[in-house]
Amino acid sequence: MSNSKQVNAEKQNFLEQVRASFSNQSTLLVVTLVVLGVVFQITSQGIFLTTGTLGTVLNDWGSYILLAVAQTFVVITGGIDLSVGATVSLSSVVAGWVLVKGLGLDSTTSGSDATPYVLLAVFVSLLVGLTVGALNAFLINVLKIVPFIATLATMGAMAGLAIIISGGMPLQGPNNWELGIPYKIFGIQLPISTTVLAVMIITVICGLILHKTKFGLHTFALGSNAFATRAAGISPARQITKVYMLSGGLAGLAGAYAYIRLGAGSPSNGTGMELYAIAAVVIGGVSLMGGVGRIVGIALGTLVLFTVQSGLLMVKVITVSPSLKQVIVALLIVAAVAVQGIQKPARK
Amino acid sequence: MANKVIYEVRNASKNYGAVVALDGASLKLHAGEVIGLVGDNGAGKSTLVKVLSGAHSPDGGELLLEGEPQVWANPKEALEAGIETLYQDSGLAQHLTVSQNVFLGREKFVPGFFGKLGFLAKKEMEAEAQAELEAVGIAFPSSNRPVSQLSGGQRQAVAIGRAVSWARKVLILDEPTNHLGARQSAEVLEVIKRAKAKGLGVIFISHTLPHVLAVTDRIVVLRLGKIVRDAPTSEYTADSLIGTITGSYSSDEA
Repeated sequence: MSNSKQVNAEKQNFLEQVRASFSNQSTLLVVTLVVLGVVFQITSQGIFLTTGTLGTVLNDWGSYILLAVAQTFVVITGGIDLSVGATVSLSSVVAGWVLVKGLGLDSTTSGSDATPYVLLAVFVSLLVGLTVGALNAFLINVLKIVPFIATLATMGAMAGLAIIISGGMPLQGPNNWELGIPYKIFGIQLPISTTVLAVMIITVICGLILHKTKFGLHTFALGSNAFATRAAGISPARQITKVYMLSGGLAGLAGAYAYIRLGAGSPSNGTGMELYAIAAVVIGGVSLMGGVGRIVGIALGTLVLFTVQSGLLMVKVITVSPSLKQVIVALLIVAAVAVQGIQKPARK
Repeated sequence: MANKVIYEVRNASKNYGAVVALDGASLKLHAGEVIGLVGDNGAGKSTLVKVLSGAHSPDGGELLLEGEPQVWANPKEALEAGIETLYQDSGLAQHLTVSQNVFLGREKFVPGFFGKLGFLAKKEMEAEAQAELEAVGIAFPSSNRPVSQLSGGQRQAVAIGRAVSWARKVLILDEPTNHLGARQSAEVLEVIKRAKAKGLGVIFISHTLPHVLAVTDRIVVLRLGKIVRDAPTSEYTADSLIGTITGSYSSDEA
C-alpha cells in the first residue's frame, strides 16, 4: 500500500535527519566525552565511571542546560544574554519569597505534601524569568541598547534585587526532595531524577522548536542576515522579543531547578552561571557571530563541561576549589573558540 | 503603452535631516513594462527604491497601486500587496538553505496539529522551491544546501528567482547584475524578460548601462533627487544616457 510506503519513506527521512543532526561538532564532542571518560577512569583508579558519578554530572548538567539552551537561541540571533545567571537567583528568590513570606510556609512542609508548592515555585520562577526577558527585549528594541550592555545592566539589577528581596539569606521553603533524587527501578539505580528528566524533555522540545519550526527558522534568519529577514516581511523586533523572553523563561525554569535542588531560594543560586552558559554555547559549536548552532551540540557541550569538572574532582592529583573551577571553565572557552577559529579559516 | 498603469508614485519627496534625497519624483509603471532607473551615486535611486518597497515612508507625495492610494507602514505590507524587492547584495540569509531562503517569511507548515504549532513542511518547500526556480529559468543548485556553499552568481540567481516567483504585480531589482560575470548577467537579463512576459511591472536599477539599454522599455534618469528625464529606451544612445546622468547633456538639445 502506498500509505505504508509513505510511512517507510518518512521513517527513512527521520533517520536521515537524526544522522544529519549529529554534525561534525557533535561527533567531536562525543569523541571528547569518550576520551574524557577513559582518561578519568584510569587516573581516578577506577572510581569515575559509576552511576553515582553520572548522576552527579547529570544533576549539574540539569542546572545549566536550560541556560545553555536559552543562550543558544539568543546567540544564534547574533545577541548575548548575560542576565541568565542573575535571573536564576532572582526567580528562585521570588519563588521562595512567595512560599515563605507570602504563604507562611517553611521547610517542615516536605514530601508529596510540598509538591503543589513546588509546582507553584516553578510557575512563579517562570513568570519572573519571562518578565526579565521582556525587560531585556524592551531595552534592546525600544531604547536601542546593544544586547551586551542591556543584559549586563539587567544582570546587575536582578542580582541586586535578589539580595534585597531575600535579605541576603536563603529562603528555606517547602520542598519535595524526592524530585531531585535519581530513580531506582527494579532495584537498579538510574542516574536520572524527575528534575533531570523534566529538564531533558524541555531541552528536546527546545531542539524541535529551534530546528523544526518557523520560530526557529526566523531565529537563524535574523542572526544570519537581519536585512534580508526584514525584507522578507519578518519583524526583527518581534523576533528579538520572543527570543529574549524564551531565554528569560528558561532561566526562570533553571531558577526553579535551583530551588528544588537546594530547597531554598537563594540570591547566590545563579551567581556566575552566565559564564558556564556562554562556555557551553561556545563548546557546543554555536557561532558567536550568529546564524549557526544546534541543540544537540549544546547538550553535549554542557555534558563535556561537567564531565571535566566532576572528573577533576575525582582525580585527586589537584584539589579543585570553586575558584579553580572558574579558571578551568575559562580555559575551556578559550580552547573551544580557538578550535572554532581553526576549523573555519576559509569562510568569507 | 496599451497596458494599464500598475504602480505609480506622485511627487514623492524624502529628506534625511538637511539632505534632500528625493525631491518631487513622479513615476508611472505599466504592467509588462521594464523601467530602467539610473543615476549617479547619491542621485536618489536607493531612496526611491526604499519608498517604493515600503522600507521608508516618503515625507511627501503619494503611492498608487493599480490606481488605489497606498501607505506602506513596513516592507511586509508592500510584499503582501504584490510588490517584491531584491536589494543589492543582501537578499539572502547565508546560513539558511536555498529553499529556506525562497520561502523565508512565507513558510509552509505540516498539516494538522503540528502545523498549527509552527512545524515546517521542509520536503514540500524544498520541492516547490526547486520547481519555482526552474519555472523562472534559473539553473540552480540543490535546494537543501546552505546558501553559503554557493558561488556569488548562484546566490544572485537564487535571490532573483525568489523575487520573480513571489512577485505578483511589481518587481524591483536593485543592482541585480552587480559583481556578476558576463554569462551570469545575461541569465539575469533573461529572467527579467520572463518577469516582463509574466505581466509584471519591473523596475531595474543598475550602473551597468549596456544592461539597462538592452532590457528596458523606458529609462528614468535621476539627478540630485529629481527625475531629469523619463523617455522610451529607443530615444537614448549610450552617450546621451551618460550625459543625462552626469548632467552634461540636456534632453532639450535632443
